[in-house]
This record gives sequence, structure tokens and C-alpha cells, in this order.
Amino acid sequence: MTFDIYLIFDSIPKMLAGIGMTLHLLFLSSFLGLILGIIILLMRISGRWYLSFPTFAYIYFFRGTPILVQIFVIYHGLPQFEAIRDSVFWPILREPFGCAILALTLNSGAYVSEILRGGYLGVDKGLHEAGKALGLSTPHRFIYVTTPIAVRLAIPAYSNDFISMLKATSLASTITLLEMTGVARTIVAQTFAPYEIFIAAAIIYLVMTWFLQRGFGLFEKRMSRYIKLSEA
Amino acid sequence: MSDLIAWSDDYFWGAMVVLKIFAVSLVMAVAFGLIGATAKLSKSSIANKIASAYTIVFRGVPELLVILIFYYGSAITLTSIGRVFYPQTQFIDIAPFWAGAFAIALIVGSYATETFRGAFLGVDPGIVEAARALGLSNLHTFFYVRVPQMWRLALPSFGNHMLSLMKDTALISIIGLEEIVYVAEMATAVTLKPFTMYMIVALIYLSITTVITLVMMALEKHSNRHLEGAL
Repeated sequence: MTFDIYLIFDSIPKMLAGIGMTLHLLFLSSFLGLILGIIILLMRISGRWYLSFPTFAYIYFFRGTPILVQIFVIYHGLPQFEAIRDSVFWPILREPFGCAILALTLNSGAYVSEILRGGYLGVDKGLHEAGKALGLSTPHRFIYVTTPIAVRLAIPAYSNDFISMLKATSLASTITLLEMTGVARTIVAQTFAPYEIFIAAAIIYLVMTWFLQRGFGLFEKRMSRYIKLSEA
Repeated sequence: MSDLIAWSDDYFWGAMVVLKIFAVSLVMAVAFGLIGATAKLSKSSIANKIASAYTIVFRGVPELLVILIFYYGSAITLTSIGRVFYPQTQFIDIAPFWAGAFAIALIVGSYATETFRGAFLGVDPGIVEAARALGLSNLHTFFYVRVPQMWRLALPSFGNHMLSLMKDTALISIIGLEEIVYVAEMATAVTLKPFTMYMIVALIYLSITTVITLVMMALEKHSNRHLEGAL
């Protein structure tokens, strides 16, 4: 066995071709997942059982099963039904990309809504009361008082979830998508040099994780500026 | 329905493989977590750096990639070692079971390292001093005083690590372990009912994770029983 360092340099440009797909999967499904998570959160805290009960079932299912299985149920499983093959969604669900986005979105929606709920529950009750005393309406209190503080409280957990999403995009390689892990697996199949290629891919993932962590750190600092002001 | 009955045997044995790999890697993950946390809290700067590198790498690289590195990497290493002794060696690999169990144990162990480190810091130093004063050795203090005290604080996060460990076992089917995802693949090829077959897999995982959650709730209650009277 020889460890061919040049193979790493040769393969990094090829793998960078897969980064586009990885980032596309990451940002699109995180964005859709965030919107879904907010909707689920609003349904859950609405206080109406017919809205909150489905969210329990949804969160329970998507947090209790592996993402790989969710991806397989959607990609391999859904075409079993005639109704889906005839529906307007078929052009999306026919493609592995659409299936990966759908699975990752549904998964992240479940986790994000729980994270946001944690932030929402962490907001001091006194602030609601202060808002009420100032005569703010319920929607105004929610948008101007609760949301900014809940967002600030939810950032650390959300950044962890975002990084889990980055790692979850690698599972898209199992349904033939050529994102970074997929490209790496293709190169390994051609060269049979697993150490060089997979370690090169791992390094790229680590760099991406580092950038994401830094970015969220800066965002958290910015959202916490009110704490500094009150301390000064 | 008759398809499900025909395949129920395979699903059962597949689920047994899942539970077996869960048990094996859980033990390893706890060991890696304890070693990692001890290294992070030790005074040696080399141990600190190694433990930090460990947690950064295994928390930042996708689980699937770690499993692939371990499986294909170990195969190529063992084959080349085998060729040194027996030049006619074709190919040696370790079973997907062990490569996979080791890989997911290292990943979850890196998360457990952080959890245990925080929990060790939460143990009242007075209790450790009391153990010293009673003449307990370092090893005894560690296993009879610090670990049981730390365990109570670490349980809630550790429950989540157990759930991710359980869900990570699904990934080992990618390197050919014959567990339930693999069974579903086989069953789909024969019955052409992919949704039914993969949904069964999802429901099996869901019931196992539910049991883990319930056990963790009971354990948390049990480990806090000395506080019940006080509250």
C-alpha cells in the first residue's frame, strides 16, 4: 500500500465539482426546512388540538427514524403508488434531487421546530407582560418582542442542526446524486485509493463545518448586542 | 399482507443485527467518551490536543464518510499487510459489522466526550475531596465516586446520543451489513412494493427509539431518586 499524496491534490478539484451540489442541497433544504419548522411551531403553540396533534405525530416520526430510511421511503417507496406517478408532483419526485430535497426538508423541519420551540419557551414571561402593558397587540408582541429574543436563544442549537444537515447531505449519494461524497465514491471506484480520496473529502467537510461555525458565531454575537448594551 | 408475513422472518433477524450492533457500539462509545473526557480534563497538553482533534474530526465529518473510510481503508490496509506475509493474498476485509460498529462508536464517542467533560465539571469538588480524605485511590475515586456522580448529569444528553447511535446503524447497510434496510432492499426486488418494505423499516426503528426514550426517562428518574424527598 502506498499513500499517494499527489492523488489528493489531483482529486480535490474534481471533488470541488461536487461542492456545488452539496451546498445546493444544504441551503435549499435548510431554507425550506426553516419555513416548515416555523409553520409547525405555530401550529404546535396555537393551543388547538386539531392543529397541534398532527405536529406531534410528524415530529415523533421524523425524529425517531434514520434519515437514510426517510430518503429511501421517499425515493424508492413513493413510486409504488399510481396516484403519485399521475400527480403534478411526479416531475419532482421522479428525480433523485427532488427526493433528497423533500426528505432533508421534512427532516430538518421536525428538528428546527423543536429548536425554535425551545427558544420560544426560553423568552421571559415578564417581557410578554411588559408588551401587553404597553398596549401591543398579540401579533405585534409576537413579531417585535418574542421573535427577536427567541431567535437569539435558538441560534446555538440551530447552528448544530445546520451542521448536521451538512453531514446529512452526504446521504444523497446513496440515491445516485453526485454531491461531494458521491463524487468521492465514484473516484474511489475508479482508483481504489480510499484513504487518499475519502480523507480529502473529509478535509473539505471539516473546512466547511469550520466556516459554518464561524458564521453562526458572528451571527450570535450580533443578535446578542442588546445584552452588551444593557451591561454597559 | 402475505408479502409481509413471508418476509417477517428476515425482518426479525435484521432487527436482531441492529440491536447487536447497537449494544456493541454503545459499550465502545461509552469507553471512548470516558477516555476522551478524561484526556480533555487532564493536565497533559498533548492529551488535551489529541482529544480536541478527535472531537473536531469526528463531529465535523459525515457519518457515512467515516464508515466508508473505515471499511475500505481497513480492507486495503489488511490486504497489503497480508501480502507481506503471503504474496498470493487476493483480498482481506473486516466484516462490515465490526468496521461499522467501530466507526459509529467513534462518532458517538466524540459527542459523548463533550457531554461527559461537562458532567465531570459539574461534580462537586467537595465530594472528590471527601473520597480522597477517606483514602480512596485515584482509580477507585474515578469509578466509585466521579463516574456515578457525573452519570446523573450526563444522562439527558446521553439519551440523545443513544438515539443518534441507533439511527446511525442504518448507514452500515451501505457497506453490506445484512440489517433491516438491506432486508427491505432484498424484499423490494422480489415483491416490487418498496413503500411497504421501507415503511416497515421506519416503523421498526421508530419502535426501538421509543423504547430507548422510555428507558432513558425511567433511568433519569431512578438516578435522581435521592432528590425526591428534598423536593
